[in-house]
Amino acid sequence: MFSYVVRRMLQSIPILLIVLTLVFIVVRVLPGDPAVAALGDYASKDAVNALREKMGLNAPLWLQYMRFIGDLGRGDLGISIITGYPVAKQVATVLPHTLLLTMSAIILGYLFGVPLGISAAVRRNSFVDYFNRVFSLLGLSVPAFYLGILLILLFSIKIPLFPVVGAGEFHNLKDLLRHLFLPALTLGLLMTAYITRMSRSSILNILAEDYVRTAHAKGVAENRVLYKHVLRNALIPIVALGGLYAVVLIGSSVMVEIVFSRPGLGTLMVGAIKQRDYTTLQSVMVIYTVIVVLINLLTDLIYGLIDPRIKYH
Amino acid sequence: MKKKHIICLAMAVFLMVCWSAADAAQPKLAKEQILNIAFDAGDLKTLDPHQAASTNDRSAVDPIYNGLVRYPPGDQVKVEPDLATSWKLSSDKKVWTFSLRKGVFFHPFPGFPKGYELTAEDVVYSLTRAADPKRSSYAGEYTGISFEAVNPYTVKITIDKPVSETLFLAKFASYAGGFIVSKKAIEAKGDEWIKINPVGTGPFMFDSYEPRQKIVLKANPKYFRGAPILKQVVILFMPAVASREFGLRTGELQIIEGLKEDKWAETVASFPDVVVKTFGPCESQVLHFNMAKPPFNDVRVRKAFSYAVSREEVAAFMGKGLAVPIYSPAQAPPAPGALTKEEAQKAGVIYENNIAEAKKLLAEAGYPDGLKIEVIISEMASSYQKPMIAIQAQVKKAGIDMALKVVDHSSFHSLIRDDASPIVYYASWRPNVDVFLTRFYHSDSVVKTGKKPDTNFTHYGAVDADGDGKVDSIDELITKARWELDAAKQAALWREAQIQMLKNVAVVPIIRLKYNFPMKSYVDLGHPLEFSWATYSPQITEKTRILAK
Repeated sequence: MFSYVVRRMLQSIPILLIVLTLVFIVVRVLPGDPAVAALGDYASKDAVNALREKMGLNAPLWLQYMRFIGDLGRGDLGISIITGYPVAKQVATVLPHTLLLTMSAIILGYLFGVPLGISAAVRRNSFVDYFNRVFSLLGLSVPAFYLGILLILLFSIKIPLFPVVGAGEFHNLKDLLRHLFLPALTLGLLMTAYITRMSRSSILNILAEDYVRTAHAKGVAENRVLYKHVLRNALIPIVALGGLYAVVLIGSSVMVEIVFSRPGLGTLMVGAIKQRDYTTLQSVMVIYTVIVVLINLLTDLIYGLIDPRIKYH
Repeated sequence: MKKKHIICLAMAVFLMVCWSAADAAQPKLAKEQILNIAFDAGDLKTLDPHQAASTNDRSAVDPIYNGLVRYPPGDQVKVEPDLATSWKLSSDKKVWTFSLRKGVFFHPFPGFPKGYELTAEDVVYSLTRAADPKRSSYAGEYTGISFEAVNPYTVKITIDKPVSETLFLAKFASYAGGFIVSKKAIEAKGDEWIKINPVGTGPFMFDSYEPRQKIVLKANPKYFRGAPILKQVVILFMPAVASREFGLRTGELQIIEGLKEDKWAETVASFPDVVVKTFGPCESQVLHFNMAKPPFNDVRVRKAFSYAVSREEVAAFMGKGLAVPIYSPAQAPPAPGALTKEEAQKAGVIYENNIAEAKKLLAEAGYPDGLKIEVIISEMASSYQKPMIAIQAQVKKAGIDMALKVVDHSSFHSLIRDDASPIVYYASWRPNVDVFLTRFYHSDSVVKTGKKPDTNFTHYGAVDADGDGKVDSIDELITKARWELDAAKQAALWREAQIQMLKNVAVVPIIRLKYNFPMKSYVDLGHPLEFSWATYSPQITEKTRILAK
């Protein structure tokens, strides 16, 4: 298994390189000068040129690219070309908040989504099923930022229970959780909708399998059939697609972070785009790519745990 | 003896009553003196005062630093002492001698845990730095000026050619290059360090910075005008207006940067405990024609366009409480040298509200069926998109089909400097008419091709504007006005230059738009808010306080 993990990590290096090259090109193709963005429209041409030189933007593109890849190879994310602040420090400050938010949403998603999916599947075409289907359809249709605003209006403005600015401090657990509740609920509802829908269809497929019918014919208790035979097999696609949805969730977290003014990779990325902060933007994209690669790897590993047919070579 | 006692007792009671009455008249302060102010920004760009340009950067820098002189908070005309207590001018009007305030201390920084006293050496170092184009965005302001420390508390500033007091003192006010930085801090730590570790002499000291989140400033107990009432100022970066609005409603934020829209302001003002403050300096929104290329190389087309526009309608569309029509292509009144409507009318240079004349002129210019243009415009709604949407609808009536290509703000600035748009709609504020005229209309400032390419989008001074075969320029008038020492004559020259450009319809001034900052009613800024010279946002001073609800 260890060699499998190492091999998969090595296989992800070309993916990472392709992404990095694309990001490097795209940020430079975008019109807009980071020096003008940094100094504002009042700055003279001389000042802009001096800053461009300092930012290393006057060097040939190939040299900038080599420097970028070389620095990354040494594990150096560089410094923000706008503020001069180390990018690694920025990422280290915000990454825990993004991970906390997405992990909370994933946990909420599985916690509520799987039971809702099961109840809908075993009571197919009943009121419970219709309710769950409408709920998951709504969850998938309502954009995360809109849902976030509705929750703020309800739980922060009408009933002032939760704060709306920032993410709280890690050393103050109560404060952290109060700040986390609404954003996690926003993303969690989205994840719940995905998981409910997926669980329902997956369980329905398994319920139609011969071995389930055989188990029923053998007189195995209903609950035993459901949890021993159906759920275990239904979990495979739930976990597989769950990994995929977790990636989608990281994308949605960008909007949620902005609506709730939370620190996170999303706000870091949007700010970097607006400021044409090439180094920060490139590094955030690297982190996103690494996260996606890791989630995919983790999903593959979990397969093995729940499906004994899968062997890692 | 008894009588004496009674009189003393009566006096004591009287004094106590007076004291209690005075105490009751004083508004009570909130227990927590922490001010949270949120801006429409993703992050800071720099806290180096000689480079800070955006609204949130200026707002953070302003309470940290001082200048030799300052415009009092809320005022834009009179100058008062700041780090200098007095100044005198030599008889040849070239040497200004400033006496510095004693006992002013820089904020603590590594190696100087108690700070150190400001001296003339710091002032000379700081101004020399502000004049260095490699280290300052405002270097152009200090060309031909030298600085000398006469003694620890006296600075001599010599200028090659005398300029008026209006122009001279503005360079040394607590704004942009005029902010005085710490020599020892920069020499010890470097220019990059002070970008996020500013060391000044102001009422608030830098405390911490969280990228893309906030800057925290704390009170400077040694501030020379007295310790601030606020203990902390938190400047938050919140690009989503809805989030800022929610933060204000919940009370987590006390001041927010608002949208420059009347309707929005009305809605926000209806929230409990919220007042909306509108104030200047207003950015002048001016439409610049690219006179180097067809179709706007023809004065008749430009005049036709101008006739099709109604400033009043644009102002009404933006909201009458915020937008005011303007007729001055440089700074808006009441700034010295700005052109009023009456002056423009008297000079016969207002061409507007006449669709028939617009169509006639277009036909004369060879466009009887109208014309099509594509204009690049910034994504920013209030300063660019919204007014241009109004203008787009107006000129359509005259047969001008103006497509708007919306790009993000950074791209907009790059593209217009690359001469890529036939019209540039530009919103800006500059400290005086001289800067406006030089940066926007001097031939040296022509984009791409000027000697010092800057923001002359019209190409004025490099092209024949009126079609008489000669290049039209206001370069001489700009220079003459700059060196004119008599304030009235200087203002007259500035007006003359602007009238010439308006005659040739190089530009159409449209509106000026006030800043809009909703705040909690229990925030007392400590000064009237009509004008915020240095920050474009409410200035936070040592007198700013939060009252008990």
